[in-house]
Amino acid sequence: MFDNVLTYQRYSENTIQMATKVLAIDDESGFTRLLKLNLEKNGEYEVRVENDSSLAQTAAREFKPDVILLDLVMPGLDGGDVSALFQGDPLLKDIPIIMLTALVSQGETSEDAVAIAGGRPVLPKPVKMETLTACIHEVLDAAAE
Amino acid sequence: MGHANGIKTQKISRGKKKKPSPSSRPRKKASLSYLQSVIDNLPVALFAKDVTDDFRFILWNKKQESITTLPREKALGKRDHEIFSAESADYFREVDEAVVKRGKIAEIPEEIIDTEEGGEVYLRTVKVPIQDSETGHSLLIGISEDITDRVKAREQLERLNQNLSEKNRELESTQLQLIQAEKLESIGRLAAGVAHEVKNPLALLLMGVEYISSGIDPDDPNLEVILSEMNEAIERADQIVRGLVDFSSDRQLTREETDLQPLIEHVLLMTRHELTRGSVKVSAKFQKDLPKPLLDSRKFEQVLINLILNAIHAMAESDNASELSIKVTSKTLDKVELNEGARTARRFRKGDTVIYIDVKDTGTGISKKNLEKIFDPFFTTKATGHGTGLGLSVVRKIVELHDGEISIRNRLITEGAHARITLVAPRRDG
Repeated sequence: MFDNVLTYQRYSENTIQMATKVLAIDDESGFTRLLKLNLEKNGEYEVRVENDSSLAQTAAREFKPDVILLDLVMPGLDGGDVSALFQGDPLLKDIPIIMLTALVSQGETSEDAVAIAGGRPVLPKPVKMETLTACIHEVLDAAAE
Repeated sequence: MGHANGIKTQKISRGKKKKPSPSSRPRKKASLSYLQSVIDNLPVALFAKDVTDDFRFILWNKKQESITTLPREKALGKRDHEIFSAESADYFREVDEAVVKRGKIAEIPEEIIDTEEGGEVYLRTVKVPIQDSETGHSLLIGISEDITDRVKAREQLERLNQNLSEKNRELESTQLQLIQAEKLESIGRLAAGVAHEVKNPLALLLMGVEYISSGIDPDDPNLEVILSEMNEAIERADQIVRGLVDFSSDRQLTREETDLQPLIEHVLLMTRHELTRGSVKVSAKFQKDLPKPLLDSRKFEQVLINLILNAIHAMAESDNASELSIKVTSKTLDKVELNEGARTARRFRKGDTVIYIDVKDTGTGISKKNLEKIFDPFFTTKATGHGTGLGLSVVRKIVELHDGEISIRNRLITEGAHARITLVAPRRDG
């Protein structure tokens, strides 16, 4: 199918590596801008940002991400609403979601801790790139199994 | 004994005086009896002491009997020390000697005697030193009025007054505790919100640090964007923390009589940039000879800045032409109006001169649901990063600490919101 064409990126001279497509849904535009710069820095990820949660579903359908980073607290549709929306969407329901939140949570006992809520990992903000990428790898591995 | 109840006759019978001649006895007896009757029917207690005879009682009328619950038979010829407690007797003797020495009428506004049957009795006593021309004896007349009821009533009143003062103090202390408790509760509720509002900029800062840490290329065009974002994030976190500190800070105010016009003009100057950017037409009207309310100008400016910024925000979201009107008027209350919106008891009394600061905008107004919550800490209709929701709760706190009230309603005829601050002019009656 035409819209199933994957994005490829030249990773090194000899290797063609598929960049992991990440959709970041977060109303914090400054944060997403820097997140995108960091993730895309070495070419391993291709990031699309959506700061308006009401457009998240459309963005996800268009972009077909491998993984979704979803902020919990947003005006209008919040992370929970968006997650439920994706869950009910046959095209999106299998895409792993990593929740991000600046809310203080019990799972946040150490900076590397990853809480699980509703079967999804929840990363506390601020999040280290190392933790975030490790978490992305984990959910992708789990999804592949 | 056949003599009358008069003390003098008693004293005479003690043989200290020369006996009256037999011819004069019946008339004297009659007049003494008459005098005794008068003395006994006086509505005040009357006694006399023979100073020359160690202040022994020589007169003790009926009222004195009833007040002291001591019959005259047990008093006449006795000294204070034989009748009253040593403490009382010492005191009476001291006063008596002083009165005699001064030779003038003396009033003892309040003295206490212990009585056998009536317990403590309070007396107001006038003591008169006289010289008996007949005997040459120096006498001390005492006229006492039983003021026990009056003293007890006064004491009760004092107790009630003290109770009332105590209750008042307790109430004030409870109110302060309530304010403090409410503040603590708010801060508790604020904590999660503040953490969220601060952690978002922190998340951005960390992203920036991580980007830079992985190596800086001076030609990287992203660097400028990242540093500018990081700078904004620091300012945002700082503002939020400041807002919280202000909300939780000590509420002591330094208030002084303040001219509202320059204060409002200063506020308009400070918000000029935002007003200009929002293409807001501003009108400010001041009634002549406005009274000067007691204000902490810095805090009160914050109230108006908050209201104005809110108005600008509401007008930016509306299609209406942006017009901000500020009007300051004053009037003397001829009745106390009911204000359904006020949570507290009315602050204003009939006869108070109140000052109204009306701030009206042409913005989107406030939905009925949100109207109930606009003063709640951290309630906001704005997107993350565009307001902590602390503004109006701080506004209300500050207004209340100025003994004022604030209400926010939608305008009735045109679209927009109408905030009214009511302050009271200093009361001149103290």
